[in-house]
Amino acid sequence: MLGRIRREAESIAVNGSGIQGVQSISAQYDSVGGSPLRNLGINEIRYAPEGPQTASLGLDTLLTHTLVSGGAGYTSFDLMQNFTGDVPFSGIIDYGTEKLYFTQAYLETYSISCSIGEIPQSSTTSVIFGDLGTGLFDSWAPFAQPPAALNVTSYSSMGVNLDEFSTNRMTSFSVDIATPRVPIYTLGLGAPTEVIAGTPIEVNVNFSIDIDDYEIKNMRFVPEQTVFRDTTITLKKNNSDVELLRYSFDNMLLTSESFQAGADSSAATNFNLRSFILR
Amino acid sequence: MAQVFYDKTTVQVEYDGVSETLLASNCTINYNNSLQPLYVLGNKGSLGHVPAGPRVGDISFDFLTSITGEVHGYPGNVINYLASGIKHSIGSTGSGVLVKCAGISGWGFLNSYAFNAQSNAVSTSSASFGFFGGFDNPAGLTLPLSGRITGSDVEAGSSTSTVATGVAHGRYTTLSSLYTTITDTANAAQEVGELFAADYSISFAHNPIYMLGQETPLLTLYTNATESINAVEDVYNSGLSYTGNETDYPLILESVDLNSLTDMRVTMVSGVQVGASVSVGLDDIARSQKTLTAAY
Repeated sequence: MLGRIRREAESIAVNGSGIQGVQSISAQYDSVGGSPLRNLGINEIRYAPEGPQTASLGLDTLLTHTLVSGGAGYTSFDLMQNFTGDVPFSGIIDYGTEKLYFTQAYLETYSISCSIGEIPQSSTTSVIFGDLGTGLFDSWAPFAQPPAALNVTSYSSMGVNLDEFSTNRMTSFSVDIATPRVPIYTLGLGAPTEVIAGTPIEVNVNFSIDIDDYEIKNMRFVPEQTVFRDTTITLKKNNSDVELLRYSFDNMLLTSESFQAGADSSAATNFNLRSFILR
Repeated sequence: MAQVFYDKTTVQVEYDGVSETLLASNCTINYNNSLQPLYVLGNKGSLGHVPAGPRVGDISFDFLTSITGEVHGYPGNVINYLASGIKHSIGSTGSGVLVKCAGISGWGFLNSYAFNAQSNAVSTSSASFGFFGGFDNPAGLTLPLSGRITGSDVEAGSSTSTVATGVAHGRYTTLSSLYTTITDTANAAQEVGELFAADYSISFAHNPIYMLGQETPLLTLYTNATESINAVEDVYNSGLSYTGNETDYPLILESVDLNSLTDMRVTMVSGVQVGASVSVGLDDIARSQKTLTAAY
């Protein structure tokens, strides 16, 4: 009989912690060697791995169940943000009665975004240098913790330190962090012997605002009027002053601005702040 | 019409009653005479063209490093077999082999042979042969090259898709004999390099002997061979020896099925290290490269 698996039978745990508020999960591997070896006088289709075998993991999560406390070596209440450093993670995806394991996953991109009326959402993509799939895995045995209590952030309980937002109405923001990874492969091994946390880390913060007196800069403002801003975004627990997450970046460079106006909408502006962090 | 698609143009090497089709990815055949314009005093123009040397040709091709060639039970492929035989040859007279591609053939003498091994990649090789012609060879060739572009009926292969188990692969090849080890005896410490890639090459010098009254050589002598290995690691040995430390370096190339019966072996005999370098670029680690050479 044909069946299907829906959200109530799907879950993911990372390093033993069950993640709540998950909106979507994607996992994928590409079996290298998808193209056959070709030679003059080809008379047979033969395959061989032509490059490292890696997989990817994507995870979109509403920040409804941020960690109650950092604990277990975590510094951020958003579990996935803790993996922007050089530490890999492993995990298990449950779907119905089946399980999908992965090991040695390294976060490559971390994003958080929020618009008016939304619960902030984080999105991550990771590259998997270990294993993905089923079968025997190394000694690590994942387990899922019971669901944590609701600890929800909200658009109505957040703060941004930029002066523009006292007279101009912020409608959305996003923070995008890209953490490069450099795998080192040696002869005779399929997995890298080392994964170096690359540098620098690129951070982009984007704001969308309905403008009142916001002044768009001159496109040729560099270098005479180069704009650097310190940016801090704090996400608090809904209807409270309890700070759950803070994103703070110094000396961000204003790199682009855009202006939109329409017959049926307010004048709006998007601008991007960018910085690079050495580690 | 000589439009022959690549699937009908195999590269074949025949030697001592054995013919092997190589998994070549490209092939180039050159043929040159040495006509030169002749100028003399008192004439502004050329008197015409005259040959300044014999006609010679060459063939070069890249191929997947197949390790299941049927060459006298010697593991590897026919090119590796030939190279090993020539470099250990105690005689002076070269015998040559028949090399064919796209209907063109010649009696060739191995000029160079190389292969590489890189992490997670299929190993590739390359070879080039020189054609001198004139030899009273079993194929009856008198000119360096003969033939025209024609397709060949390739032997039918497997009708199903397979894993290329007969091709050397960096995922399963360690080349552990090339690991650099640095030892600090005072502190009982040791550092062993991790090998990222290696390139092997060998070149042969052949000397065709020409006689008066004949364009093609009377015979072709093998004179010497020079072998080289470049290994890329993460350990740099600054203690490069002034006089060199002769060492044998056995290289074993494995295929994706790790079948020890079909691995390919090459040994650099009495090799010495002649160079050590370090390079580093953006977004990468510092990598060292050592160069080993041997002569035969």
